[in-house]
Amino acid sequence: MKLLKVFTRGLWNEIPPFRLVLGLCPTLAVTRSAEDGLGMGLAVIFVLACSNMLVSSLRNLIPRQVRIACFVVIIASFVVVVELLSQAFFYPIYQSLGIFIPLIVVNCIILGRAEAFASRNGIIASGLDGLGMGLGFTLSLTVLGSIREILGQGTFFGAEVMWSSFRPFSFMVEAPGAFVTLGILLAIMNAISKSHQS
Amino acid sequence: MKEVTQMIVVLTLICTVCGVALSGLLEVTAERIENQVLINVQGPGVKIVLEGSENDLIADRKKIKINGEEVLLFVGKKDGKPWAIAYETLGNGFGGSLTVMVGYDTDQKTLTGIQVVSHKETPGIGSRVTEDQFSQGFRGLSIKIEDPSPKGIRGEVDAVAGATYSSGGVYEAIAKSLQIYPEVIKQSLAP
Amino acid sequence: MEYIVLVITAVLVKNILLAQYLGNCPFLGTSKRMDTAIGMGVSVIFVMTIATAITWVVQYSVLVPLKLEYLQTIAFILVIAALVQFVELFLKKFAPPLYSALGIFLPLITTNCAIMGVALLVILKGQTFPEAVLFAVASGVGFTLALILLAGIRERLEVSAVPMALRGAASGLIMAGLMSLAFFGFVGVDGSLKALIQ
Repeated sequence: MKLLKVFTRGLWNEIPPFRLVLGLCPTLAVTRSAEDGLGMGLAVIFVLACSNMLVSSLRNLIPRQVRIACFVVIIASFVVVVELLSQAFFYPIYQSLGIFIPLIVVNCIILGRAEAFASRNGIIASGLDGLGMGLGFTLSLTVLGSIREILGQGTFFGAEVMWSSFRPFSFMVEAPGAFVTLGILLAIMNAISKSHQS
Repeated sequence: MKEVTQMIVVLTLICTVCGVALSGLLEVTAERIENQVLINVQGPGVKIVLEGSENDLIADRKKIKINGEEVLLFVGKKDGKPWAIAYETLGNGFGGSLTVMVGYDTDQKTLTGIQVVSHKETPGIGSRVTEDQFSQGFRGLSIKIEDPSPKGIRGEVDAVAGATYSSGGVYEAIAKSLQIYPEVIKQSLAP
Repeated sequence: MEYIVLVITAVLVKNILLAQYLGNCPFLGTSKRMDTAIGMGVSVIFVMTIATAITWVVQYSVLVPLKLEYLQTIAFILVIAALVQFVELFLKKFAPPLYSALGIFLPLITTNCAIMGVALLVILKGQTFPEAVLFAVASGVGFTLALILLAGIRERLEVSAVPMALRGAASGLIMAGLMSLAFFGFVGVDGSLKALIQ
């Protein structure tokens, strides 16, 4: 029961990047289309779950003073794994995500979870925490990517979805669209949780 | 003291293990990555300049050495017989080096076409050298062009207006390509 | 002349925050007040310049000769983390006033993707050493400019009647989007300058 809670927390109560306003750069940069958002999300799930589990299993070995350095090395190694695998198997996605794949290493969510959760909890719980947070992040990125792709290009995962006379708002695929869409989504989330509370 | 030793030992150990694991993974994926890069980066250009070939252009590539430098050679075949070859050369554009894939019809002794594979030119200005309007002009150009220098080629095909430097990079790459052509042919015929 | 174009492009046209989506976490976190915005901006200019210079040297005199380019991500993040620690110690010892002004921002900079992003971008663009350093300084200045502008707007917003749901990060993001739209006015300036030189 407790493990289930650990897992589902990342999906709503603490869903990144909405509740934890962290990891914004990839959120804004790679949500030009739903596919890119999903690809980035999957890469983050992999790095987050693996690094959480490894950090957790080594938590008693790592001296406190060098823990951050150790976490960074572990996270960076999994990022390189993702870089190599995405080049070998998903080259087009690797091309469109560009430098944002190596930049997963500075995604604050990952280091944050390693420090706040994995270094204090068991392997299974840490793995589930990583999976939950990663899934939440993927969900957010895919939703954001879908909105921007549908309004900005009139397509969804590359397929035409809008009526034929629809004129795409190119504003949405550019940087300003990213900021404004995320801001509005954040406001909607705030409004929903406010009405839940009262 | 004990703490410091532990710190150093743990850090070194983690770094070593990660390094070894990653180099292992690189070993396993290196060939696939090379293939993927070829298919996605050079692939589209090769397909255009060797249009009409019936073989798998990427799989039938060859590596040859020209003046000590490695050249990746793509061979197009029709009815099982090689009819055209293509390889890349570099030129200096405005934003940096640009790579040009030049295709040759080995029977007709003409260019089948050119494609700019990668470049760093200014979008909308220098980048116009990648457009068909410019690259189409080279199709059918004779290999035995009188003056195989950038200047000589400029005389055959007009530069893109407003993108003199970028066009110059393309001319330079084609000139280099033409200069090594006899050597490439010699080596590509050898088994 | 080419250097001028490089600077104008990095500061105004391809502003690292508003057009390249790098460094957004501190962008929202430290833009609530003007003094923190200035502190963060100065720290970023400082660290970004040194970090880019060092990672450039690491890339071309260590990683490339040893054929270890695939370890770029790990090497860069370690260099940046170590550099930030070193700068912190150095300032604490030799420039206490500067340390007390910038100290709290320095740890945040390790996970600032703008630093890592610029280090990766100069390699990706194949820039020479002077170009790389100049690009880093200009990107830092662009970052500071955007940060200070946003802080000015957000200080105003603090005292206005903003709907509950839009308070905090949500309105910050929407403001950033509008600023990004304003910076869109510079698109094409770099191109015409380059064309002028050509």
